[in-house]
Amino acid sequence: MKKFFWLLVAILVMSGALAQQARLRVFVGGQQRPDVLRKILDTYQQRNPGVRVEIEVGGATSDQQQQYLTTVLASRDPSIDAILIDVVRPAQYAAAKWADTLDKYLPAATRQALLKQYLPAYAKANVINGQLVALPSFADAQFLYYRKDLLEKYGFKPPVTWDEAIKQAQTILAGERNANLNGIGFMGNISEGTVCSFLLPIWAAGGDVDEGGKLILTEAQARASLQFWLDLMDKHKVSPPNMAEKAQDTIRQEMQAGRWIFGTLFAYAWNRFQNDADSQVKGKIGVVPLPKFEGGRSASCLGGWQWTISDFSKNKAQAYKLVRYLSSPEVSKILAIEASNLPVFPSLYRDPDVLKANPWFADALPVVQSARARPVHPRYPEVADVMRKALNAVLARTKTPEVAAKEVIEGLRAIYR
Amino acid sequence: MSVPTQPYRRSFGDMSERALAVWLLLPAGLLLGFVALYPVVRLIYTSFFQYQLTQGPEASFIGLANYAAALEDARFWNAFRNTALIVLVTVPGALVVGLGLALLANLPFRVKWPVRLGLLLPWALPLVFVGLIFQWFFDSQYGVVNDWIVRLGGERQFWLFRPDLAFWAICFTIIWKTSSFVALILLAGLQTIPKELYEAAEVDGASRWQVFWRITLPLLTPAILVAMIFRTITAFQTFDIPYAMTKGGPGNATETLAMYVRVTSIENLNFGYGSALAVLLFLVSMAITVIYLRYIRGADD
Repeated sequence: MKKFFWLLVAILVMSGALAQQARLRVFVGGQQRPDVLRKILDTYQQRNPGVRVEIEVGGATSDQQQQYLTTVLASRDPSIDAILIDVVRPAQYAAAKWADTLDKYLPAATRQALLKQYLPAYAKANVINGQLVALPSFADAQFLYYRKDLLEKYGFKPPVTWDEAIKQAQTILAGERNANLNGIGFMGNISEGTVCSFLLPIWAAGGDVDEGGKLILTEAQARASLQFWLDLMDKHKVSPPNMAEKAQDTIRQEMQAGRWIFGTLFAYAWNRFQNDADSQVKGKIGVVPLPKFEGGRSASCLGGWQWTISDFSKNKAQAYKLVRYLSSPEVSKILAIEASNLPVFPSLYRDPDVLKANPWFADALPVVQSARARPVHPRYPEVADVMRKALNAVLARTKTPEVAAKEVIEGLRAIYR
Repeated sequence: MSVPTQPYRRSFGDMSERALAVWLLLPAGLLLGFVALYPVVRLIYTSFFQYQLTQGPEASFIGLANYAAALEDARFWNAFRNTALIVLVTVPGALVVGLGLALLANLPFRVKWPVRLGLLLPWALPLVFVGLIFQWFFDSQYGVVNDWIVRLGGERQFWLFRPDLAFWAICFTIIWKTSSFVALILLAGLQTIPKELYEAAEVDGASRWQVFWRITLPLLTPAILVAMIFRTITAFQTFDIPYAMTKGGPGNATETLAMYVRVTSIENLNFGYGSALAVLLFLVSMAITVIYLRYIRGADD
């Protein structure tokens, strides 16, 4: 009888523990190293015995992930608690009321102190209409990758202005006489990277798309940007005539095969150049901030990923605790070392452990700090569509920069109104 | 253990035939209702609302405003035009190629499998696969098409980003992919034509051409119509192949209606307007089906 009593107690205690155990589900993309995240979550589970966290792995690109998430969130499915979203999405999540506001858990003073620790661009990107929508996980930006060996051979320093980059590319192309070598690689197909291509010359000349929610981009600025990329092909002959076909990863693969002198690519390319077995450019690639125009400023396209809590989650308090951990300096450092993700805390760019794993991070900080955010707008996908279609059509030579610039401004006006 | 079959049998036996029919049809009816009817009704319902998640999760009734907007939307008409052109080129195209393939497969070859395999393979490949494969074929730099052209002394062509060439490249791919489906249906039709007719024609000394025009083609008409209906409806819904090959580019030059519906709903989160576009696409498909069915009925009489 006594034995039976103890058994009963044991069962009660165990079932109590089971009931207390919170189950969370987080969503990340396939290329965002779910393996590293699993290790991080294992640590979290050890420290919080009552919590189990599962990972749901989505598609490879931001678009593919969002297609699936749109279905889940539009049907108010509570199965996912926290989501890793692209830096262009917080405004959309806030407008659709898909994201739980984090202000609930953070008194104003704490929130301010917390946001101060991050790179300013991310603190800004995650606050929509005064509401904190998400917390940053890791940073990303566009860099100018260049062939160190080729530039040295011709006695060039890495270019600071676009004019220098064009002249260097022309000289090297003329000297090498290699039909397989190209000058300046940039994204021109219908993809998110092409939005950044469209924006770079505008930023480098000191302009922007919007300010305080108002459209400030002029037709002349848009035309100058479209003309700039077209000229790289047709006038300066430093880019091949089929740039309308080029996706980011196509340029990365070609540069890895030694076919580009310059490439404007996001941070992920560096590791592929250095570590991929088939890379023919190991140790030959340098990274600098993107060039500017004479009298302008260097500008890069801000990328990066944020943790947000689904408004349909049934475990918001637990999810909040988890998100705070996932956006902490400790996790940022693990991601930097194990996944080569750029940290969101400026201090980590000088951290000896991080620099040991990624020596080039020392030069990356100024680039990330000067990176510009793409327009923050709930209808961002439409804004992006207008810009990438315009540049793509110009590069395909189906529209002149004049016509396309006019359409860009008309299209953006209809969205900004 | 006793098996209680008796009461059940009696209760079924007591049912009128009509009630039994209802019960037997119920599962299929429910399934069809959930899978086909509910989404269609819901789609039509949503199309009457201003329902754009980027402006908040609330929906407000706006009547036919989405449809009015669509009829004034240049991008809608551009997509409509592209879709209609694809239908006009690929349906007859697939019919001609498919008829050729079916006649070839119907010839008394001793070894039949190479022709049959050639018939089945394109049909069995998923659409996106085909789109990606042909994207590589038509790639201006690495593609096999340009490689042949250059070897034969021609100029490299920008197949996928010159609007006219991109259109033809897409049509070529769709015809390649879909003519085997047409051929399969026509082959089945060919095999139902009685051999005696051909024997009689031979006895009468008819030429091959006469046999084709007077016997094969008329008796094949029902099969041709069936193939045309299926082909036309799927052609109006063309999505995968142009999406994989050009993403609608350059600009919006090769965007189809189905692609515009997807961008509007899934990317721009404008479900109300996207639903209205989808309903318009649905109406066009319905109209074409009705016309074909009328024609078939007319032919039967």
